[in-house]
Amino acid sequence: MTKAVRQGGPLLGRRKMGGLAAGALVAGAFPAATSTFAQAADASTFVSGFALPMNLDPHQVYDVPMQSMMLNAYDNLYRYEGDPPEIVPWLAESHTVSDDGLSWEFKLRPNLKFHDDSPLTADDVVYSFRRMLALALAPAGAFLKILKPENVTAPEPLLVRFKLETSYAPFLAAIPSICIVNPRAIKPNEKNGDWGKTWLASNGAGSGAYRIVPEGYRPLEYLDMEINEGHFKGWSDNAKPVKKIAYRPTKETSTRILALLNGTLDCTDPNLPADQVEQINASKIAFVQKDIVMRTFVVRMNNTKPPFDNLNARLCFAHAFNYMGFINDILGGYATRDPYPMPENLWGVPKDAKGYDYDLKKAKEYMAKAMAEGAPMKRPLEIHVQSENEQSVQGAQLFQSELAQIGINLKVVGNIWSNLTTAAAKPETTPDMWVHWVSTYFVDPENWVGQMYDSQFHGTWKASSYYKNPEVDVLLRKARGLVKQEERAPLYEQAIRKIMADSPDIWIYNSMQLQGFNKRVKGRRFCTVGQGAELRWITLAG
Amino acid sequence: MLRFVLRRCALVLPSLLGLLVVTFLLIHAVPSDPAVAMAGDAATPEQIAHLRQQYGLDRPMWEQFGLYLGKVASFDFGESAFSHRPVALDIVQRLPATLELTFASLLLSVLIGVPLGVVAALKHNSWPDYALRIFSVLGVAVAAFWFAIMLQFLFSMTLGWLPLRGDLSATMSRPPVVTGFLLLDSLIAGRWDAFGDAVRHLFLPAVTLALGGLATIVRFTRSGVLDTLQHDFVLYERAVGYSRSRLVWIYVLRNSLTATVTQIGLLFGGLIAGGVVVEAIFDWPGIGSYTVQAILTGDRQVMLAVTLLVGAVYAMVNILVDVVHGLLDPRLMGRA
Amino acid sequence: MRPIFARLARDVPAMLGLGIVVFVLLLAVLGPWIAPYPGDASASHLLRRLKPPSLDYPFGTDNLGRDIFSRVILGARGALQIALAVVVASMLIGVPLGLLAGYRSGWLSETIMRITDVVLAIPQLVLALALAQLLSPSLESAMLALSLTYWPFFTRIVYAETRRLSGSLFVDALRGVGAGTSRIVFLHILPNALSPVIVRATIGLGFTILVAAVLGFLGMGATPPAPDWGLAIAESRTYLPKAWWYAAFPGVAILITVMGFNLLGDGLRDLVDPRIRRSR
Repeated sequence: MTKAVRQGGPLLGRRKMGGLAAGALVAGAFPAATSTFAQAADASTFVSGFALPMNLDPHQVYDVPMQSMMLNAYDNLYRYEGDPPEIVPWLAESHTVSDDGLSWEFKLRPNLKFHDDSPLTADDVVYSFRRMLALALAPAGAFLKILKPENVTAPEPLLVRFKLETSYAPFLAAIPSICIVNPRAIKPNEKNGDWGKTWLASNGAGSGAYRIVPEGYRPLEYLDMEINEGHFKGWSDNAKPVKKIAYRPTKETSTRILALLNGTLDCTDPNLPADQVEQINASKIAFVQKDIVMRTFVVRMNNTKPPFDNLNARLCFAHAFNYMGFINDILGGYATRDPYPMPENLWGVPKDAKGYDYDLKKAKEYMAKAMAEGAPMKRPLEIHVQSENEQSVQGAQLFQSELAQIGINLKVVGNIWSNLTTAAAKPETTPDMWVHWVSTYFVDPENWVGQMYDSQFHGTWKASSYYKNPEVDVLLRKARGLVKQEERAPLYEQAIRKIMADSPDIWIYNSMQLQGFNKRVKGRRFCTVGQGAELRWITLAG
Repeated sequence: MLRFVLRRCALVLPSLLGLLVVTFLLIHAVPSDPAVAMAGDAATPEQIAHLRQQYGLDRPMWEQFGLYLGKVASFDFGESAFSHRPVALDIVQRLPATLELTFASLLLSVLIGVPLGVVAALKHNSWPDYALRIFSVLGVAVAAFWFAIMLQFLFSMTLGWLPLRGDLSATMSRPPVVTGFLLLDSLIAGRWDAFGDAVRHLFLPAVTLALGGLATIVRFTRSGVLDTLQHDFVLYERAVGYSRSRLVWIYVLRNSLTATVTQIGLLFGGLIAGGVVVEAIFDWPGIGSYTVQAILTGDRQVMLAVTLLVGAVYAMVNILVDVVHGLLDPRLMGRA
Repeated sequence: MRPIFARLARDVPAMLGLGIVVFVLLLAVLGPWIAPYPGDASASHLLRRLKPPSLDYPFGTDNLGRDIFSRVILGARGALQIALAVVVASMLIGVPLGLLAGYRSGWLSETIMRITDVVLAIPQLVLALALAQLLSPSLESAMLALSLTYWPFFTRIVYAETRRLSGSLFVDALRGVGAGTSRIVFLHILPNALSPVIVRATIGLGFTILVAAVLGFLGMGATPPAPDWGLAIAESRTYLPKAWWYAAFPGVAILITVMGFNLLGDGLRDLVDPRIRRSR
């Protein structure tokens, strides 16, 4: 690979030769590009429309597309399964935790194997966690503060021990985010102590139900996987699994849907616009699967900037969003109104607490109160949206036209995720308002209220309303340190009531996931973590 | 001849360096923080600080530029902030697709544009000429991205004649990579099914991209032929009794094409840049869609490398055009 | 001046271009009074989303139930604004630099022209996209990015003209009678160099409208709810093939406007530079 890179240069100087030389180099870099797949639309190849992650290394990237890849190609100690999601032993058989919540031990199943047939033992788990901590990229977020690399150890071949710095209740909930990788595959490809980062970005080193075919990978364009017959779970629960998975992500929604309708895709991505449901369901070949997930849609307000530092002003905005209009007319009813700062189907939600409704009259009253208190309600305000995401734009536009009716001037500003998260690092640069979703990184209130409203997280995008309430801080921190759900739930309920009274943000809905499937797809099982991307139960009829 | 070429090449280096300085400054003068983007969604401030240090983003800009320059000199364009893959590798993998598309559209514009230009000149100031003139104005005025979408709507979505996106059907297995050019590789592997499928995929993007160039070529061929027709030797040869068609298609055309050749050269560079949006719309796996991805995610290393690459292609094409001119008219070489 | 207009008036395509340009200018100025639903610049009407063209909505309605006909009319102002701002800014940078480099010789002139060449070699669209994105996407960043990449065209033209004129007899004569440098440059060279600049600017207006539309299309120019043509086409893609009208009409608006500027520019060029008479 290094060779190809270095030689890549002179290409620029010899343009005419360029094409051929480039081809030769590619051939050199990827010798065995044998014809990977036979004709598909056959019963053994599942053509997936899930988006691909930015690269294939599960310790570098952690987002929804990565989950859809890693749930098939890698295994974890524990994993979320089912709907509602339940955390179940996976590579581990069981675990124990000390009373102080600091010491965790995971016992591995015997006879586990990686794709290269080498045994998967506690040492490999230790390597994986140390690699994840050393890279300190996305999935490490939950662990960096509470876990030192030297405190992950393997006292026995099948026993892994974690010594945490402080008690951290969501530890188990975050365990499924870490994939176990094969050091014997990675180490020969390390360069200057990079933990094989460059190599694993385009290759696989896992033990999962499917194996990455490196020749069938082109970043963000396509990815091929083939079945791992020797997967530890066995295939007894699926008589006819698909032999191959071909990821063929399509950037444009309409293109994706046409591909589904002409039979070249077996499933679309899981975020289909509601407008398309009717068309797909009317077709002979495909249908839309609806699932409730845990993914909340929020309009953030920067509580440090006037007028958002004023409670009445924030209440005015909370009453000016046309919640049901947005959900029913734009989303076609395919979402659940969620007035809480958390998915309404998660534990820890105070079910009796009342949220805010769309009521322009009330909004006007609050506006008058806020103005009497000196809040600059007439100043031009900005709401930043993720331009590439149609729904965030529509939500903001709807809000803008409602606010215009009560004389508030809101400007919709297009932006992108990386700029927005940069801006959210400081209260001064954080926009007046912005729109985003909070997906399930792990199934725990910590994923939502914990990281959104504890002031110690100021500077991260999740805490970008810069809300600070000392009482809430105390409650959230206490809940984080306890291990038992029965003890934690009342603390979260109490915290959420206080947060809702302060109305720091506008909580809009919890998503319903819409995904188009070819009718030949059978046996799908859904879990909100990974948005139903785990494919080991799938069978293709006909 | 060789000295002429070498001298032109030597002149290119400083301008490429200048190009690098200008783009580096512009791209680094803006406030977005790549470390935040790299760290990903769930990152903590500590992680971001760590990355900033790791990639030298905390150092002064001139130091970062020095580092980058050193790397570029050894053809290392850094790694993408998101895929963590070497940018040079990505470019080498994707360049063939872009070249394939560029050549295809160039071929289309020349094969159609030159005859049309000649016809326009011969039917000068009659309705075919007017029609072609309107066409050439339209061809330059149409927004390529809109035209692409309209083609998709008509030929893929409504009529279902041609594929909507990509370079090969998802169900079609890829021929083994030999040259990287899908069409060539299909032929080498004797895979006529893949070849046909690839041609069908190539058609709409190539037509979209060809449109602007086609209009330009019609225009320049037309005025070139008109010019030549007024030269004395044409009158002479006509007097000698050459048939009109033989005269036009052989003698006149050969003498009229200098301007067109220049335009073809310039078009090539333009096509690579213009391909950016067209590739993005058709999900064409080339440099263009790579660029758009990089821009949408704010991936600076990729933006820098691509800008440099396209700039270099422009420069090379300019040299090539000069050389061709030099061959046509050796007097020019002394002057350059 | 009179014969020039008379000649332009005989050039049918150029007059057609002029007609289109005047028409678009009128739309830009009077848009809010002409458009049947001027409020649809920002309002949304969830109950009449994606309605096909009808008498009430000649171009149909969009994803938020807004009248596309009105939004196409209202979009003219933004398109012209961005184009004018970019071309004027580029002229303000490019023309003085061209004069300076052309009239003087030596290192300053060399430096200016080398920088001009470098900037010309940058793929304009790519750099404009990158800049617009990094500056956080907005109309202002798009305009800045386009101006920063468009000025060298003017420098090149003015440089060439100045070079030609400053070697000419009449400038020599002016120097001979003791005219000052600034007097020569601004009163004698500039007016003579102006015609190719005007031609370039006219074509540049059309070109900028196209590039700005690309920026809008990729979400890096105008931001919602602005009735921008490029942005509308981007938003419409999700609703194809069902709502073809949503994609079609804004594109036609771009096509006609750009064509107007190009036809006019071509006509002007024929007048100014008979060497490349198009209609010969």
